[in-house]
Amino acid sequence: MQLFAIIVKQDAGVETNEIEYVRKFLKQQLDETAVLEYMAFFNSKAGVEQKRRERAKGPKLTSVKDSVRILGICRKINKKLNHKQKVVVLVRLFELVNTDRKFSDQRMAIINTVAEVFNIAKEEFNSIQTYVIETDLDSLNDPAILLISHQENICQQCKHIQTEELHGELLILQIASSDLYFLRYTGKQDVFLNGLAISNKAIYLFAPGSTVKLPKGKPIYYSDVVSRFLADSSTMKLSFCTDNITFRFRSGTIGIRNVSFSESQGKLLGIMGASGAGKTTLLNVLSGIDTPTEGEIRINGINLHKDHEKLEGVIGYIPQDDLLIEELTVFENLYYAAKLCFNNKKNDEISELVNKLLISLGLHERKHLMVGSPLNKTISGGQRKRLNIALELIREPSILFVDEPTSGLSSRDSENVMDLLRELTLKGKMIFVVIHQPSSDIYKMFDKMIILDTGGYLIYYGNPVEGIVHFKKMDNQINSEVGECPTCGNVTPELIFNIVEAQVVDEFGNYTNKRKVSPPQWEKYYRENVSNEVLEDVKEKPPVSSRIPTWIKQLKIYSMRDFFTKISNTQYIVLNLLEAPLLGFILSYIIRYIADPNSDIYIFRDNENIPPYIFMSIVVALFLGMTVSAEEIFRDRKILKREAFLNLSRSSYLVSKIFILIVISAIQAFLFVIVGNSILAIKGMLFIYWFALFSTFVFANMLGLNISATFNSAVTIYILIPILMIPQMALGGAMFSFDKLNRNVGSIGKVPIVAELMAARWAYEALMVYQFKNNEFEKNRYYDIEKRESVADFKQVYYLPEIQELMENAEADFEDKSDSVQNIIMNDLELVRYELGKEMKRVPSIPFDDIDRITLDSINDDVFENTYEYINKLEIFYARMFTDANSEKDRIISYLDEKHPTYYRNERNKYHNEALSDHVRKTFERNKILRYKNSLIQQYDLIYLDPDVEGFFNFRTHFYSPVKHFMGKYFDTYTFNMFIIWLVTLVLYITLYFDMLKRVLNAFEKLKLPSYIANIKLKKTKKEDIKTKKKKRQTVQKKIKPKKND
Amino acid sequence: MKAIKKIGTDDTPSVILDKENQELMISGRSLPEDVVSFYDPILVWLDEYAEDPNEKTVFDFKLEYFNTASSKLLLDVLLKLEDMADDGQDVLVRWHYPDDDEDMEEAGEEYADIVEVPFEMISYELD
Repeated sequence: MQLFAIIVKQDAGVETNEIEYVRKFLKQQLDETAVLEYMAFFNSKAGVEQKRRERAKGPKLTSVKDSVRILGICRKINKKLNHKQKVVVLVRLFELVNTDRKFSDQRMAIINTVAEVFNIAKEEFNSIQTYVIETDLDSLNDPAILLISHQENICQQCKHIQTEELHGELLILQIASSDLYFLRYTGKQDVFLNGLAISNKAIYLFAPGSTVKLPKGKPIYYSDVVSRFLADSSTMKLSFCTDNITFRFRSGTIGIRNVSFSESQGKLLGIMGASGAGKTTLLNVLSGIDTPTEGEIRINGINLHKDHEKLEGVIGYIPQDDLLIEELTVFENLYYAAKLCFNNKKNDEISELVNKLLISLGLHERKHLMVGSPLNKTISGGQRKRLNIALELIREPSILFVDEPTSGLSSRDSENVMDLLRELTLKGKMIFVVIHQPSSDIYKMFDKMIILDTGGYLIYYGNPVEGIVHFKKMDNQINSEVGECPTCGNVTPELIFNIVEAQVVDEFGNYTNKRKVSPPQWEKYYRENVSNEVLEDVKEKPPVSSRIPTWIKQLKIYSMRDFFTKISNTQYIVLNLLEAPLLGFILSYIIRYIADPNSDIYIFRDNENIPPYIFMSIVVALFLGMTVSAEEIFRDRKILKREAFLNLSRSSYLVSKIFILIVISAIQAFLFVIVGNSILAIKGMLFIYWFALFSTFVFANMLGLNISATFNSAVTIYILIPILMIPQMALGGAMFSFDKLNRNVGSIGKVPIVAELMAARWAYEALMVYQFKNNEFEKNRYYDIEKRESVADFKQVYYLPEIQELMENAEADFEDKSDSVQNIIMNDLELVRYELGKEMKRVPSIPFDDIDRITLDSINDDVFENTYEYINKLEIFYARMFTDANSEKDRIISYLDEKHPTYYRNERNKYHNEALSDHVRKTFERNKILRYKNSLIQQYDLIYLDPDVEGFFNFRTHFYSPVKHFMGKYFDTYTFNMFIIWLVTLVLYITLYFDMLKRVLNAFEKLKLPSYIANIKLKKTKKEDIKTKKKKRQTVQKKIKPKKND
Repeated sequence: MKAIKKIGTDDTPSVILDKENQELMISGRSLPEDVVSFYDPILVWLDEYAEDPNEKTVFDFKLEYFNTASSKLLLDVLLKLEDMADDGQDVLVRWHYPDDDEDMEEAGEEYADIVEVPFEMISYELD
C-alpha cells in the first residue's frame, strides 16, 4: 500500500496528465474508498505542483525540493522492497510516463536517478527503457525481449514465438537479475492474461504459471516463455526409452504390462491411474529400484538396470513419505544432503546454495525450525513436502521421479509444488510425477500423461488434454472433440476415470461390478488410436551435477549429521548420559553390603556381592549398548533409500554410525564404572573395568546395528533384544555354573561351545580373573605363591591318591580275567598312563621310564612297582613344593606383620574379595576331582590351573583360567578375552557391511511358508480370491460377447 | 592533503575542500553534463579525509540550484559525512538557502530527514 502512495507522490514530482492512469492503477490494486482517498492525496500534491510550475514556467527545471524528496522516497523504498518489487516500481514509473508519451529530459532524469538509487543494472535499465518506450519493432532489438507474433521473426537479437494470426504483437521483457517477466500487447484483439483481458496500453507482470490466451491458436504458457529465454543456457540432452517393460511381483501377479514410450529432456510427465493400477510400481521400475521382468529401460542408450553405475547421480527419487531427519532443522537437513553430493563446493558455497533454494521454496523463514515428526509438528505438511522435494532438487538430478508430491496438501501448496517441478523441467530436467486427483491447472501443466488401468495396462500416453478427448471419443460422448471447458478453460481429469471405470447397469438400473470396457480393451483402443513418435537414443553421456565426496569426507559429514541429530534431541542426550551412572548408582548402592551387623565400616573384602556386580554391569553394558543402537539404521532406512541413488559409500555410513556409538559407549561405560566402582570401593581397577565394559558396549552396539539393519519394524527389533540378551545372561557363566548344565549343552572340563559365543562370558571371565589375580594385593607375589600352593595341594591330596588307588585296584583285580573287569582295568590303566604322561611333562626333573608299559598287555609287577615309586616321588615333590610355598607366604606375612602390624590385613581388606575368591576358586565344590572318560579333571581352584596345550589353535579352556593358550603362546586371560570380544565385534561389522543377516532372512522368506501360516493367510485373502475369480469370469464373458455381436 | 578548489561555472558549482583551513564548501548551481565524473573527485577526497579528519568537520552547502542527478550525488556526499558521524566524528552540515527560496529550504529539510547528520539551516539574503 505504502508503495502505491509513494509512487503517487513521485508522480507529483513530474507532470500530472497521468491522473487517469493513476486512477486506473489504483483501481486495480485497491478498493473504491481507498482509491478515492489516494486520489485526493494525489490531487492535492499535484495541485501544488501545478501552481508552482506556472510560476516557474521559464526555466522549466525540476525543483530541488522534489529532487531531494524523490531521493528520500527511493531510499525508503530501498529499505522496504526487494529487488523484484523495485523493478516493478521502475517499470510502473516508465509506464506512467508512457501514458501520454511525454519523455521530457526532466522526467527521464528522475527515472534515471531512481534506477540508480535502486541499484538497477545499466543494461537492464536500458532494456526496460527500450521495451517501454519503443513502438517500432525494429528498434526493439534487445536480447531480453521476446516477441510473439504471427509474422516471421523480424528482429535479430530478440526472441520470437510464432503463433497463428494475431493483430499486433505481444512483447515480453525478461529481467534476468530478478527473474521477472513483463507483458505488453500492441494489437487490438482480445487477448487474455490468466483469464483477464489486457489493454494495449498497460504493462503487465507475467507471473509464474501465467497463460496468455490468444484469439486463435494455442495459449502461451509461462513455461513456453521461460524456456525460450533459457533455451541458450540448457544444452543437456536426455532420452528416456522404455521398451515393452513388464514387471511381475514375487508372488507372480503382474504389476505392469508391456509399457513402452520414449521421451526427451525438459518434460513433465504425469502418471495417473486408479488405486492399485500400478503407478508406484511403474515409478519404481522406471527409477531403477525394481528390475523389470521383461523389456528394458534406456537412458541415453544406457541400460538403467544393467549399467547402473554409469547412471550414477543422474536419477533422483522423491518418495511419498517424507525422508527427513526429524531432529535436524530445515536448513541442516538440506545442508547435509547437499554436502553429501557436492564434493567440489566449499561450505559457504553450499550454505549459499541451500539458502537460495530455501528462499525459492518459501522455506527461508523456517530454516531454523526443527523438522519434527508428523505427530509433533513444527513445520506444516506442505513445508515438509517442499523440503522433501528440496532434498532432491539441491542435487539437480537430470531425471527425477516424484511419488505423489501433492497428496495431503492444500490446493495452493499443491500448485506451488507443481510449479516448482514445472520450472525444473524448463531447465531441461525430465520429471515423472505420480499424481492423484490433479486440479485442472495442475493437470494442464503436464507435458505428457501416462494413464494406467487396473492390472498394469497402459491405456493412454500422450498430451493430457488430448487424453480427455481420446477417452471421450472412445466413449462416444457428444462434443468429444472438446477437451477443456470452452469458456473457463478448465479440464476434468476425473472424467477419464469415470469413463474408464464405467460400470454396466443391470435391468433394474443398479450398477453392477462389471465394467463396460476392460483394461485390455482400453489398451487396445490406445494402441489403435493414439500414436506417439519413437525417439532415437541420445548418444551423449547423461549430465551429472553432483560430485560424491571421498570416503573420509563422507564419514565426516555423516558423523556431523548424526551428531547434530542426537544433540538436538535433549531427551535422548539426557537419558543416555544419566542412564549409565544412575544404573551404576542403583546397582552398587543396593549391594553395598556390610557383613558385620554392628559395624558401619564398609569392607570391600567382606562384600559378597562383587561377582554379581561384575556380572550385572556386563548385563547393563549389553542392554544399554543394544538399545542405543537397535534403532539407528532402522530409523535411517528411508533416508538411505533416497541416498542409494547417490551411490555413497555404505562403509563410511556405517563407520560414522559406529564411531558415534563408540563415543557414546565410552562415555556411558566410564560413567557407569566411575559411579559403581567408587561406591563399592573397587580400587585400582577403573581402566580395566571401563575397558571391559566398553568392549562389551561396542559389541552390543554392533549386534544392535545388525538387527537394526535387518528387521523391518521397530517392534520386531525390540522383541528381538530379549532373545539376544537372555542367552547372554544365562550363558555368561555367572548365573549357572558351566559344568552343571544340560549334558547336550555343557562340556566337561571346558566352557561349553555355545557359551564361547557369548560376549558376556568373555567379559565376565576377564573381569573376574583380573579382579582376583591382578588386584593390588595379589598381583605382587601372593598369586604366584598361592598358585604353587594350590597346585601342590591338589596333586598331593586328590590327584596322586586317585591315581594310586586306580593302580592298586588294577593290581588287585589283575588276576580276574572276566571281560568286564579286564575292560575296567584297561580303561583305568589308560587313564593312569595319560595322566602320568602329562605329569612327566609338568615335572621333567623326575624321570619315569615305564610310562609306555602301563597297558593291559605289557604291565607286570615291575611296572606296578615302578609306578608306585614314581607316584611316591611325585608326592614328595609336591609336598615340598607346598611347604616351600606355604612357608614363603608365612614368612612374608609375618615379616609384614612385624613391620607394619595392620598392613597385610588392611591391604587384604581393601583389595581382596572373599566372595569373588570363593567364586573363582570354587571353594565349596563338593567333587574336587572328577573322572571323565579316561582323564581326571580338577574341579576347584581352577583360577590357579594353567590350561593344558591341546593343539596349536585351540584356545578353549576351563572357566576362570588364569591364562589362555593360543598358537603356542600363553596370553593373560584379560587381554585375550578382550581380544576375542573385539574380534567378534569385527566379525559383526563384516556381517553388517554385507547385510548378511538380511540375506539369510530373505533366503528364508523365499522358502515356502510353513503350511499353518499359509493357511492363515489363505483365510484372509479368501475374499479377494472370490473377487478375482469373479473378474476372471467377467473377462471370459466379455470374450464371448463380441462373438455374439459378430 | 591536497586541497580541491574549483571555481563554479553556469552549470557547475564552486567547490572548496581544504583541510588545513577547515573549509569544506559546495556552492552555486549544480547541473553538470556528467554529474558522476564531476562529483567523483569530491567523493574520493572525502574518503581520504575521513581517514584522518579534523577535530571538527563543518560542511557548507550554499547552492542556488541543483538538478535531479546532482541531488543523488549530493546525497552521496552527505552519506559520507553520515558515515563519519557514525564513526564518532564531530560533523556538522550547514545548509544555506536564500531567504526567499522555499524550495531550497525544504530540500535541505528533506536531506536532513534522510541522513542522520547534525543539520544547521541558515538563510541568507540575496545580494
